[in-house]
Amino acid sequence: MTATEAEAEADSAVVGDDVYTDGTLVRDPDIEESLSQDEYDPKGTLALLLVYFLILALMWTYMYFVEFLGNGATVVG
Amino acid sequence: MHVHNYEKLWLGASLLLIVGFISTIVYGAAGAGITMVNDEGGQVNPKELGNTSGFDDPGVTKVGPNEYEVHIVALQFAFQPGTVELPANSTVTFYVTSRDVVHGFEVAGTNANTMVIPGEVSQITVEFDEPGEYGIVCHEYCGAGHHSMAAELIVREPSNFTMQDDTQTPTSGNETTNATATPTGGESA
Amino acid sequence: MSTPGETAGETVESAREMLPDNSFLIQYPHVSRVVRSLFLTAFVAFGIGAFMGVLQALHRTGIARIVESADYYTFLTLHGVLLAIVFTIFFLAGVFTWANTRSLDRPPVSKRFTWFWVVTMSAGTAMAGIAMLAGLLPSIDISADVLFTFYAPLQAHPIFYIGLAVFVIGTWLAGIDWFRQFLAWRREHPDERIPLQSFMVLTTMIMWFIATLGVAVEVVVFLIPWSLGIMPAPNPLLTRTLFWFFGHPIVYFWLMPAYLLWYTVLPKIAGGRLFSDPLARVVFVLFLLLSTPVGIHHQYLDPGIAEGFKFIAMTNTMFLLLPSLLTAFTVVASIEHGARQRGGTGYFGWLKALPWRDPAFTGMALAGLMFAAGGFSGMVNAGMNINYLVHNTLWVPGHFHLTVGTAVALSFMAGAYWLVPRITGRKLYSRPIGLFQVVLWFVGMVFMSAAMHRGGLAGIPRRTAEPQYPQVAFETVAGSVGSLRLQLAFGGVLLFVSALLFLMNVGLTAMNNKPARGLDSALPPALSGPEQSPTVLDNLKLWALIAVVLVILAYSLPLYSIVQGAGLYPAGQEASPAVIAPLLEVIA
Ligand code: HEM
Ligand SMILES: [Cu+2]
Ligand SMILES: [Cu+2]
Repeated sequence: MTATEAEAEADSAVVGDDVYTDGTLVRDPDIEESLSQDEYDPKGTLALLLVYFLILALMWTYMYFVEFLGNGATVVG
Repeated sequence: MHVHNYEKLWLGASLLLIVGFISTIVYGAAGAGITMVNDEGGQVNPKELGNTSGFDDPGVTKVGPNEYEVHIVALQFAFQPGTVELPANSTVTFYVTSRDVVHGFEVAGTNANTMVIPGEVSQITVEFDEPGEYGIVCHEYCGAGHHSMAAELIVREPSNFTMQDDTQTPTSGNETTNATATPTGGESA
Repeated sequence: MSTPGETAGETVESAREMLPDNSFLIQYPHVSRVVRSLFLTAFVAFGIGAFMGVLQALHRTGIARIVESADYYTFLTLHGVLLAIVFTIFFLAGVFTWANTRSLDRPPVSKRFTWFWVVTMSAGTAMAGIAMLAGLLPSIDISADVLFTFYAPLQAHPIFYIGLAVFVIGTWLAGIDWFRQFLAWRREHPDERIPLQSFMVLTTMIMWFIATLGVAVEVVVFLIPWSLGIMPAPNPLLTRTLFWFFGHPIVYFWLMPAYLLWYTVLPKIAGGRLFSDPLARVVFVLFLLLSTPVGIHHQYLDPGIAEGFKFIAMTNTMFLLLPSLLTAFTVVASIEHGARQRGGTGYFGWLKALPWRDPAFTGMALAGLMFAAGGFSGMVNAGMNINYLVHNTLWVPGHFHLTVGTAVALSFMAGAYWLVPRITGRKLYSRPIGLFQVVLWFVGMVFMSAAMHRGGLAGIPRRTAEPQYPQVAFETVAGSVGSLRLQLAFGGVLLFVSALLFLMNVGLTAMNNKPARGLDSALPPALSGPEQSPTVLDNLKLWALIAVVLVILAYSLPLYSIVQGAGLYPAGQEASPAVIAPLLEVIA
């Protein structure tokens, strides 16, 4: 048994029976706290995606107005 | 249909992004005046370029005070002419076509870029404000010698610029490559 | 590697009895065999393709030149065809066969029919493969150095085109097989919602039927008769347009099996549940509708097509971002659900509660992250006039190694770590190697793709064996061209090592004598189930009809004007290389 597996099996927060692809990590179903549709708001997802939105908006502006329009001769006709 | 409020918010943000992208592009076309290469160039017979006005003698022609036309023939594996000289502060219309297969035409380091398709003429108008030396590369795979297909574009200070006379400019490109294929262009037909 | 609680004498056969009754292998041993054989072909193609990849990365950067530059394009053709067509589509066929069977809970209608399409696809692949490989042997007068985007006047040997046609017919038969399986299920369940995985398979296949019409016409009507010397050379612009009619939707054909894994398998691995089944359906319907009427965005810089048509393709393309952006939300929210069930908290802290030690999870998560980056460079490609900046430069392979080369390929590798035990009953050979391998792919791709993007901005073209030209000096925004070359080649080597580790790990799993455990094939139900969506979403006929109408609207005028322009067989077009002496001249 490798060290990582030992650590992993001590990890108490895991749920489900066959979580690791090779079945080495057996989770304890009792620890599962089940979150229903009404109890769960994906605020982390929203936060991540808003960050992504900002990156996209900034990068697009940079690519279009600096890299592209600043790239010398352009086709105008 | 059930959609979580956060996801509705993200849907709104996504639509905003999409509309934002489209608006930028419309600005580029309407505000910055960028035009896409289109069907204005018309069609030619790739085997009859020698009898087609403009392509029979590829090169630079002066058509107005600061206006030039450049006819370029792309072939496996070179551009004709191999060197194009132009004055700065000029408006230049390139007419590019191919004698054999599909090629590309890219003035490296600029936005002057188009596909070159046999039978079609790519017509693009470009403004060169600053003097400089550029490379023209074929960016569309055109056969075993594709990597040797390039030409030169020299934009000179207007005071240093004199029109080349009308003689045929030599063909560009590294004709002696390790490519095994031989051109299957007009002459061999 | 040994795991506790395992006795030496435990063999796969004796352990099969220990597998849960609802594990896929026990329920569908025959389908498992079909999936295994499809995966085998996919992985062989992947291995050869990856080898070509590293050769290219070393060659075009001038770091190690093992092959002749003139042969570079033969390798590039092999790389493109083997990876972007054979690897992706064989893996897709395996995943779809598994998913359709699992979610409908019944095997395909006829075993013989299933093997028939497997053999058809394989035969087509073999024919095209022979034609491409023969290009390396000058003594044989066969070649297919036309790259995986093939249009006139560059010509391949007819056996290449015929092989591709046979391959595509094989995929059609596969689609018919999955539809028959579905219709058999429908007879027994007249009023039920289509199970989600099957829904994904069916919508993707309708899209594929529509999309492949373009390439079928290109190949069967124009390229095959021309390469046999029966017909003259077709209009090059027309063949390009027909190719790209198919060439964009194929992108979504690559992506849909990855999305299927992200939507249905990834939440389970993360310990959560799919956030929204209704939106998953909406996303697949949107792909069906919008994937095809956008192909002209690959021809923004083509002469002979009016700007208006390009503008329409551009707007459609931008709206095609929507289903992918929605996917980002649904998939991340499903993972977050898992993390929160496992005790994760905070706006970003929940990320720590995910099963990062699991190669299947980490692989797919990193694939998704790369897709976010690839999405951005794709937005630039899609932006019509900004396409002048990047068209046919190294930026483009930089982009699609993030999308098909990672979002898809890495999801497939991660998915294989999860699926292969389920279709073999054998335990994954090594989880740590798997984990290392997926991370290595990610790192390698960061290097290679970033260098390609930046090289592209400097104007370095794609698809060239010698990107150094006496006439051209490429100027980068930051860093030297030399350092970009090093990064590209370094990334390529890491990717190749990662590919080898993957193949080794999967190969040893297939031969592993340790039985897999815990192969319950059930997937957790969605948080927001199908009952929360209108049934019209399942009306496949309606969506197919609208998709066809949209394609007709988008393509009839451009095709008409191209044919009006130069005609079907314009004068003066000539094949290069002329592989077979035109038959008509031989007779004359
Ligand atoms: C070992 C990993 C890989 C390496 C080192 C690699 C390297 C490369 C390089 C250097 C090129 C550019 C060649 C050029 O334009 O001159 C290329 C092209 C390409 N790669 Fe990869 N690649 C790898 C994996 C993949 C994967 C997994 C896929 C898709 C599933 C893929 C699909 C493609 C395609 C479609 C092309 C374009 C071919 C063409 O231009 O016709 N590659 N690859
Ligand atoms: Cu070329
Ligand atoms: Cu596309």
